[in-house]
Amino acid sequence: MRKTIRWQKNPIVAWRAIDGETVIISPSDNVMHELNETGSFIWRQIDGRCSAAEIAGMLAAEYEVPPEDALADTEALLQQLAASALLVTAAAADGAAC
Amino acid sequence: MDRVASRAARKHHPLNAHFDLTYRCNERCVHCYLDHEDHGELTTAEILRVLEELAAAGILTLTFSGGEIFLRPDFFEILAAARRLHFDISLKTNALLISAEHAARLRESGVRSIQISVYSDEPAVHDAITKIPGSHERTLAAVPLLVAQGLKVKLACPLMPQNLLAYRGVMALAEKLGASYSFDPTITPMMDGSGGPLIHRVSTAALLPVLQDPVLSACYPRPAAQTDAAMPSGKPVPSLTSAVSSGFEFAAYEDIPCSAGHNSVYISPYGDVLPCVQLPVPAGNLRRQRFRDIWYHAESLEQLRAVRDSQLPVCGSCEIRSYCERCPGLALMEGGDVLGAYERACELAEQKARLAGVAHPLSALHAPGATARQAVGPCKTNFLVTTDNSFYRKGHDA
Repeated sequence: MRKTIRWQKNPIVAWRAIDGETVIISPSDNVMHELNETGSFIWRQIDGRCSAAEIAGMLAAEYEVPPEDALADTEALLQQLAASALLVTAAAADGAAC
Repeated sequence: MDRVASRAARKHHPLNAHFDLTYRCNERCVHCYLDHEDHGELTTAEILRVLEELAAAGILTLTFSGGEIFLRPDFFEILAAARRLHFDISLKTNALLISAEHAARLRESGVRSIQISVYSDEPAVHDAITKIPGSHERTLAAVPLLVAQGLKVKLACPLMPQNLLAYRGVMALAEKLGASYSFDPTITPMMDGSGGPLIHRVSTAALLPVLQDPVLSACYPRPAAQTDAAMPSGKPVPSLTSAVSSGFEFAAYEDIPCSAGHNSVYISPYGDVLPCVQLPVPAGNLRRQRFRDIWYHAESLEQLRAVRDSQLPVCGSCEIRSYCERCPGLALMEGGDVLGAYERACELAEQKARLAGVAHPLSALHAPGATARQAVGPCKTNFLVTTDNSFYRKGHDA
């Protein structure tokens, strides 16, 4: 059975929500990342407890996008953020609610 | 970062804070502008509360400086709080107290950059400036400890007559140690306005060999495009930017003098809020007021935000303005008028324009018939040459 990955924000990254968008700075590579409104929505849900599917569900409810599109976009962004070391995998917490 | 900084400045969103945690210091640098006595520093609890207010207001980049920050026994507690609040953290230090253990803790704390004052590659020159024998050796011993942790280190070298030609040695030293570097001939009056440190300021004429050095010129960005007739074919010219900035490029600020009070703020060890450490216009005190109330309602900040470069009474019509790094704080401290021109900035702008190929450059202050009041005394203009790449942007769209 495939294990569900749950992501959390890398604790060493700096970030702020500014005017509905999110600015993230990674001290390890000195790179600034910006997320648009929907990217920021996803960023806010990343708490170490929610899976990509659960976040995508919230995204679809909030923005009225088809669930399959929301899931594809969410997974793509999470992978992108993880590749930039802005996210780390959360320690598995059995039964943790999103 | 330019877009974010520009947008924040336009909307007066606080983005950058320079927080001096103490004015106490374990060096006695000849050019220092601080009173090192403790007149009642913020307590740990007060600082943690201030950090929460800064984070809630939207401050992202936070520079801890002093004085010497490692003299505060609660420094790592403060740093841990800043980390929990998701600040982008930079430090300024003389590094005398940094151990291998400290370096590891700094990395764990997510510190992005550490600026260390180094005055020369020659120990005797450095120690004569700090007045602490052995300080050069101790400071430089810390650099490999920090670099080994993957921390980004910059050697910052104020240029004075006694170390003016040391910059090449500091460049070589930085490259050998895996650090970046910056040089700055800015020497400011004391914060109380007295001019003691100014005897250590390099004259504009004496700076000429530095300005002409092709090694440094290669680092200079080109001036912003402009249409006035004084603009030559685009030779590189020095960029004079604020040594107290967060490190973000100032190209973001169209027609405003600098970020001070627009998206940047300074906080003293006593809780005083100023637009900038170099702009002594009190806006409030965090022991008595909340940061948001000061930032959005202080009359001094509102007045500052109304200033536009193009409308300055003298400088607004200056033909060589693109070569100038006029500092409002120095205009006030040295010329007595935050809107005014002052001699040192004009001299440096003329020097740079001349080096860039402008024939007979003349600042508005020196132009025939100029009616403006002459600024008196020397000034502090920053001359920052750096190997930093600063930030670049990556966009993510969901």
